[in-house]
Amino acid sequence: MLELENVDKVYRSRGKPPVHAVRALDMEVGKGEIVALLGSSGCGKTSTLRMIAGFEDVTSGSIALDNRRIEALPPARRKVAMAFEGYSLYPPLTVRENIGFALKAQQLSRGEVTRRVDAIAGLVEIEDILDAYPRAISGGQQQRVSLARALVRDADLYLLDEPMGQLEPQLRAVLRGRIKGLLAERGMTAIFVTHDQTEASALADRIAVMEDGILQQFASEKELKNRPANLFVASFIGEPPMNLLETEVARADGGFRLSVGSAMAFLIPGDRLDSTAQQALQQTPRVRVGIRPQKVAVGSGDVRVRIVSNQWLGDQSHVAGECAGNFLIAVTAGRVAARPGDVISFGLEPRHLHIFGTEGTCIRHAEVR
Amino acid sequence: MEHSSLAGRVFRGVALALVLVFFMFPIVWIFLMSFQSNEQILRIPPRILFEPTLFNYQALISGQLRTTAGNLEISFMRNLMNSFVLSSAAVLLALLLGVPAAYAFARFKFRLGETIAFTLLSFRFAPPLLVLLPLSLYYQQLGLNDTYFGIVWVYQLIALPLILWIVRGYFEDISPDIEHAYRLAGHSWREAFTRIAVPLAGPGIAAAGLLSFIFCWNNFVFALILASADKQPVTVGALAFVTASGIQYGQIAAAIVLSVTPTLLLALYAQRYLVEGLSLGAVKG
Amino acid sequence: MARLELSSVGKAFGAVSCAADLSLAVEPGEIVAVFGPSGSGKTVLLRMIAGMFEPDEGDILVGGHSIVGAPPERLGIGMAFQNFALFPHMTARANIASGLRARGAGADVSAKVQSISHLLKIEHVLDHSPRELSNGQKQRTALARALIGNPEVLLLDDPLRNVDAKLRYEMRLELPTLLRRGSASVLYVTQDYREAMAIADRIAVLIEGRLVQVARPEEIYARPATVAVARLFGDPSINLAEVVPVAERGVLFADISGTRVRLDTADHQPMDLGACWVGVRPDDLVISQVASGDAIPARVVAVTPMHEKAVLLLRFTDGTEWLAALPPSATVADDDVFVRFAPEASLLFDRATGVRIGLPHRRQAA
Repeated sequence: MLELENVDKVYRSRGKPPVHAVRALDMEVGKGEIVALLGSSGCGKTSTLRMIAGFEDVTSGSIALDNRRIEALPPARRKVAMAFEGYSLYPPLTVRENIGFALKAQQLSRGEVTRRVDAIAGLVEIEDILDAYPRAISGGQQQRVSLARALVRDADLYLLDEPMGQLEPQLRAVLRGRIKGLLAERGMTAIFVTHDQTEASALADRIAVMEDGILQQFASEKELKNRPANLFVASFIGEPPMNLLETEVARADGGFRLSVGSAMAFLIPGDRLDSTAQQALQQTPRVRVGIRPQKVAVGSGDVRVRIVSNQWLGDQSHVAGECAGNFLIAVTAGRVAARPGDVISFGLEPRHLHIFGTEGTCIRHAEVR
Repeated sequence: MEHSSLAGRVFRGVALALVLVFFMFPIVWIFLMSFQSNEQILRIPPRILFEPTLFNYQALISGQLRTTAGNLEISFMRNLMNSFVLSSAAVLLALLLGVPAAYAFARFKFRLGETIAFTLLSFRFAPPLLVLLPLSLYYQQLGLNDTYFGIVWVYQLIALPLILWIVRGYFEDISPDIEHAYRLAGHSWREAFTRIAVPLAGPGIAAAGLLSFIFCWNNFVFALILASADKQPVTVGALAFVTASGIQYGQIAAAIVLSVTPTLLLALYAQRYLVEGLSLGAVKG
Repeated sequence: MARLELSSVGKAFGAVSCAADLSLAVEPGEIVAVFGPSGSGKTVLLRMIAGMFEPDEGDILVGGHSIVGAPPERLGIGMAFQNFALFPHMTARANIASGLRARGAGADVSAKVQSISHLLKIEHVLDHSPRELSNGQKQRTALARALIGNPEVLLLDDPLRNVDAKLRYEMRLELPTLLRRGSASVLYVTQDYREAMAIADRIAVLIEGRLVQVARPEEIYARPATVAVARLFGDPSINLAEVVPVAERGVLFADISGTRVRLDTADHQPMDLGACWVGVRPDDLVISQVASGDAIPARVVAVTPMHEKAVLLLRFTDGTEWLAALPPSATVADDDVFVRFAPEASLLFDRATGVRIGLPHRRQAA
């Protein structure tokens, strides 16, 4: 469907070193797939989207949509629809006219335009502001209009730049569901840019994690969480972020003993490691281990921590504890009766540990039950 | 688009060069004229190559101009001095009055505030000649005619609105929260004004000061009517070169070069402040 | 240390009322979060206390003395702003020290700056100017500046709004300890209910200039005063359906999308309540593939994983849309499912007023 091959983007401006925004990007998006480009600001995700849309030149590499090369075509001829981060609504047109603008250009009958606009307006809950002008409506409403304007079109590909960042919190979850349902029902292919991993995992079938212009990993949310390609992805994905500990490696009864000073030690049996992992551990004196806060048991286990904070968020507790200078966060569904300063037990099971070698390469993933 | 064809780049270069020549020509021509004698200047056709002479500058600086019709006294240096004194004093006074006023207009919403601010700006719309006649009558009665103070005062008509409107914009760009934060830290509003607002609007104040200095420097008609010979600025003094024996083009050119130089130097010096602008790193970018 | 007290404070800008009859007391050492949707008057409230606006009505007291009309520099209030409001032409150090110098703290200025910046982990950037700092460092500098003088009252105006998610999370863990350090009365404005619940001892819910509920976080979550409050707490937010409950033989029933569902009535005499909203949190829904008399048939429109949960958008036969949040391990194979919830998980609100209909025993959260 959409294929990016070895795409590079370099911004050159006089008197400044060139900025390599996107490096050797290979990516394939299937028909009907929803893909998120996720990363912090300056990671190259927006440049990528804009190159696909045609607002930015490709420095090198190729982009193909349905087997036709599009990287040299002007945006209007690529058959893509886009929702912009800044909304870019046409100020002199009403909301209805804004949404129907592209449809009119397609020479659809007036009745058909009205029908389609009404349908999409219902979906994003803007029926009551269809006759308002953009400046008269709130930021969240403008964003919904901008989404509707993109989704109402017939296009081969839908590009959405931070599509839901400004939405009213109470609406966000429902709209995510509805839009995902709409995209799936119509078999629409969509790529959206976001810095919010909650949004990425909620909407996307696959997530492309970018950093420094490099695609770090392109996989489903589950895969990213269970089998992160490297330390960056491991610590970037997951809320709250993965707990990381610096450990020393020693051999112990056919397995390995990973110890954090004298405070914690994890015994990894040899039969739980494949040969490459065994080899890597033999050669690396110090490794980083990571464990997701959701996998840290509270109140049982052999790690004694001093509670730093214990926060109940209505549906889950976030408990932060300190053990010999190491900071650990645990997330559990229930409430925890501990006050800052108390000493309680945390349980960190060796099978839940991700192990990372020098330079962040992944040695072993946590076992999925 | 960063990739443009070679033809496009050549075309762009030629177009830029043409515009540059068009704008720079008069300045370059005057600069060349200032090193030529009247005869050389009036030669037809004009020549690019000539034997330069410092005669014009000598005459201006010594104040003695020998022409075929005899010796002429010119007080150009005095005029230059006057220009400098009058413009600087006017700008200083305008800054002293205008900056606090601009702050008040930017920060406080008071009744008729907008009306007053607009009225002050509207002084710039009126043709100077319209106010000149009543003004000179008043000045004669008040004894302000032909005094430095009188001219500086009337220059406020030029400088004050400019400073008020430019600096007001700069003050409005500063987040009031920065001043609130300073006051909550235990400082009076006067300190917040002098230590926070004024330094942060510094580039704007410099720009406004420079601009109004140039406007004052270039003023002609106020000084022509309200000042006698010994208090006239260069703009009026240049009239002296239109003599009975003809127009002294060489001296005029040299006078222009000398009178433009200070403002030009000032502008070049202040450029970095002007460019710096208001980059308030503390406020989210 | 002194108590901060607002008594019937009211403020209007022209015809727009931004605060009406606000009464609230913050004890020394207590953190009260002012939480509400944007435009609800949170910032105006904070600014009235900071002396930037004067209230039209009512009084603001610190330690029993009115501070209305006093110039900001005399208030002894520390404040952190959403946009940081650092002095751009001073170093981080000078920013932090600005308050101490003005109050004549004298020789121990540098020691105090050192200790507060150690606490906030910004010692290494003290000599940088604000534009050289990251947003996280800017906010820490701004916090240091607010905290350093040990003010009696601390006001924080959505201080984590402009820092990225990871830092926001870290700060959320650190802030309560930091803010309690000097036993100041702390008012913390936020638009994020999780931040409010994590940081505050009590939350004051402000909607359209009125305090709708002031209570401990778990109290508000379990027993929201109105349907509007219920909708503000929880992500995804609470599911609602329009019902007219009917009492039958001591049990309250309601009709949701054609299914008769039992509602909680434990220790109050059930009676006909008129038009109501019934609210059930997405976490309390149980999804099954098997039909039963009290389960609402629904179609799964989409599955959107969030916060380590699988969130299902369900559409009932009458078009009502509800969200269900299931543990990540739950897999939903079928498009057609049946939805149930425990009677005690339901909340009832009067449809005309939005006020919750008191079921006093309400489940204790965990």
